[in-house]
Amino acid sequence: MSLVNFTTREITCKIVYYGPGRSGKTTNLHYIYGRVPDSRRGRMVSLATQTDRTLFFDFLPIDLGQISGFSTRFQLYTVPGQVYYNATRRLVLQGADGVVFVGDSQARQLDENLESLQNLQSNLLEHGVDIRTIPLVLQYNKQDLPRELILSPADLDDALNFRGVPSFSADALHGRGVFETLKGISELVLKKLAAGTAA
Amino acid sequence: MTTRAVEPWIFEPLVKFVKEAGARLVLLMTPAGQVLAQHGFSRALDVMSAAALGAAIMASTDEIARQLRQPPFAGLNHQGERHGIFLAAVPTGRGRLVALVVYDLDASSLGLVQLFFDELAADLQAASPKDSVPKRVLAADFERELSDSLNTLFGR
Repeated sequence: MSLVNFTTREITCKIVYYGPGRSGKTTNLHYIYGRVPDSRRGRMVSLATQTDRTLFFDFLPIDLGQISGFSTRFQLYTVPGQVYYNATRRLVLQGADGVVFVGDSQARQLDENLESLQNLQSNLLEHGVDIRTIPLVLQYNKQDLPRELILSPADLDDALNFRGVPSFSADALHGRGVFETLKGISELVLKKLAAGTAA
Repeated sequence: MTTRAVEPWIFEPLVKFVKEAGARLVLLMTPAGQVLAQHGFSRALDVMSAAALGAAIMASTDEIARQLRQPPFAGLNHQGERHGIFLAAVPTGRGRLVALVVYDLDASSLGLVQLFFDELAADLQAASPKDSVPKRVLAADFERELSDSLNTLFGR
C-alpha cells in the first residue's frame, strides 16, 4: 500500500515486476539502475543464487522528484520466476501498489507465461487482492529475437491481456520499452492513489 | 543522529527507545517494508534498502511459523563482530509494524535492546490512533509532472 507522509509531503509506492523465470524482470531493473543518475537512486539489492538467478528478490528504490508538491519515490521489486520459489514470490507481492507482468515473447514460452499469470492471480488472492483491480501493465520482452521464434504483441495480447491493460513491446537487455513500461505502471499507480485518497 | 517519523505519534516512543536502549539505527516499517519512522540513517534511499531486507526476513520467518502451524516468532537476533541486529513485530492501533534495531556491541547489548523494546511496544500501542482520515494527495493533472519527472530521470 502506498505510504503518504503529509508532514514531509512524501509518497512511497511499491511496484513488483512479476513473470516466469528468465523473462527479463531483473534485466529491467538493471537497465533502470544504469540509466538513472546516482542522486536519484538507492543501492540495488539482489538476493540471488550463485548462478545469478533471483532467489528472493531484487530491489531498487528510485526518486521520481516532485509530483503535485509531493516528493515521490518508487520501490521496484522483482520476484524469483522459477516455479520452485512460490513461497517467496508470494511474500514479495505483499503490499504491492502495482504489478508489471514481464512476459517472454518466445512462442515456446507461452505456457510458462500463462502459468505465471495464473500464479500471480492466486498469490494476489492470498493477500486479498483481485487481479482485476490492481494497477497492472504487461511487457512483452525479447521482441528483438527472430520473428520465427516469437509471438507478436497482438498474439500475446490475445493470449494474456484479459483485462485489456496497457501492454508494451520490449527488448529489456538494450532498454527498448523499459522506460515506457515504468511510465505506464507509474501512471496507473498514481491515478489509483489520487482516486483512492480524494477527500 | 536524526530521528524522523512519518506519523507524529511514533516520534516520542522512538526517541525514548533509542536513548534508553543505546540503539545505533532503528527502523519502524509496515510488513510490506514501507518506512514509518527511522533513527540514524542519513539517506532516504538507503533506508528503503534496509527496510526491504528487514521486511523480507520478517516475512520469511512468519511464513516458516505458519508452515509449522505456530504463532509468529517473537523476535530475531543476529550478532556480528561489532554490531548486532534485532528484528521483531509490534502490534499497534494502526496494525502490525516491524522494527529493525541495529546496536553497537560496545555500547549496548541484546538484553538491553529487548528490555526496552517491550517498553517501546507498549508505548506505541498506547500512542497509536485508531482511525485515519483520507486526504487529497495528488492534483488531477499530475500525469504531466510525472511524465516530466520520468523524462528527466531517463535523460530524455
